[in-house]
Amino acid sequence: MQEHFNAEIESLKNNLIKMASIVDEQVERVIEALETGKVELCQGVKSRDLEVDAYDNLIQAQCENILALFQPFAADLRFIISAMMINNQLERCGDIAVNIAKRVKKTANNYPLIVEAQINEMGKQARKMLKDAINSYIYNDSQLAETVMKEDEIVDQFNKQAFKFLVSKMQSNPELIEPCSHLIVMTKHIERLADHATNIAEDLVFYVEAKIISHKKKLQKLEKDQPEDDN
Amino acid sequence: MSRIPVTNIIYESSKVTEEEALISTKSLSAYFGEKQALFEVNLNIPEKQVTAIIGPSGCGKSTFLRCLNRMHEVIGGTYTGSILFDRTDLRDINPVELRRRIGMVFQKPNPFPTMSIMNNVVAGLKLNGMRDKKLLKEIAEENLKKVGLWDEVKDNLNRSGASISGGQQQRLCIARTIALNPEVILMDEPTSALDPIATAKIEDLIYELKKEYTIIIVTHNMQQAARISDYTAFFYMGRLIEFDNTKKIFTNPSKKQTEEYISGRFG
Repeated sequence: MQEHFNAEIESLKNNLIKMASIVDEQVERVIEALETGKVELCQGVKSRDLEVDAYDNLIQAQCENILALFQPFAADLRFIISAMMINNQLERCGDIAVNIAKRVKKTANNYPLIVEAQINEMGKQARKMLKDAINSYIYNDSQLAETVMKEDEIVDQFNKQAFKFLVSKMQSNPELIEPCSHLIVMTKHIERLADHATNIAEDLVFYVEAKIISHKKKLQKLEKDQPEDDN
Repeated sequence: MSRIPVTNIIYESSKVTEEEALISTKSLSAYFGEKQALFEVNLNIPEKQVTAIIGPSGCGKSTFLRCLNRMHEVIGGTYTGSILFDRTDLRDINPVELRRRIGMVFQKPNPFPTMSIMNNVVAGLKLNGMRDKKLLKEIAEENLKKVGLWDEVKDNLNRSGASISGGQQQRLCIARTIALNPEVILMDEPTSALDPIATAKIEDLIYELKKEYTIIIVTHNMQQAARISDYTAFFYMGRLIEFDNTKKIFTNPSKKQTEEYISGRFG
């Protein structure tokens, strides 16, 4: 029975890693296109997303099967729960890569604007975070996951700066309204990409350390501000 | 507005102090002749809660259970250390009185086959000299209702206790145990001989009974321990390895051996 269970767990992890490598490749391509202005790198990103979607369904079914058939406890149970959550995050990352690709194509003629707004740097940082988050999952490395969580702040800063810069560009050069709008949407996607990488890192910490750390800072504030219980 | 728990939502460890415990064992070691079956077990069992005892075969969990109503000595065993029941040493309590206060339900349903269903329920009371037929009938009805058996047997109360199904027989045995108004019910794998539906009925019954009684259950079924107990004790090779609230044991146990056992990776 144990061998059977181990085989199921291994197969689940393998599928998640395969899915993660496709997503990683999608993101690598669009961010490289963003950095270099070579739009042709985005080719194939959309078609690969179908594979990601197929893995999404497969992994969900595998998790359901393991829960129903083996009823795992403790670390085994956390592994399945984290796999379900990470699966969800990766699927969203795949969609985001497709969305970024669309905006890269639409802003192909505005490469200097991308560099000036530091969106290329922002993309590079988000891509690094996703890669590290995936590696933290592959190697059960909660320390690496912690660094991913800390880096989310960097992407948020890039996002704020880019937004400011693009708005001022639109104000001073109305002819840039269209490309700048595309770039604002693109930065939002990149910012979400970093958020999903952070979530993957948090899910890994949940599995390895049995700690729920999502929304930690905000919730500590809520706890402070909450009125005393009536009971 | 009530507070939403926002931090510490992973189950924390919770211990039972001696003051909170209904039963407390101190350095309890149990023997069968030369062979030692339990080693220095210190365990505080909380009142009106379900405590599950889990562990592989031969780990001493049934021996531990039998020590608590001195059945261990009936089958030729001995023990050292002390067991406090409601702060009194077990050795200072008359064994007959003790077994009335600490009832036991066994793996295999064991109704008295020559007795009717009704007489099975009140057998202990009759043995203690109760003769009032009206009162005995009332007590039988009350306890058969408590175990959810009344509607199933009320038209056949004079049939043999052995004529009903295995699951019904086990509930009859529980009715017989609680008719004596015990404070504690010991259960030694009470559902291992039953099908899933009969098992579910016993589990629901345990959930109801814990409002009035302290229940200690030995089970091999990990899911059952997780479902029905408030506290879980894990025994291995005669030693208590870990005791904590059940949610903690089954989500994030403190000891590696516990994690390996509940995950089926033992040995």
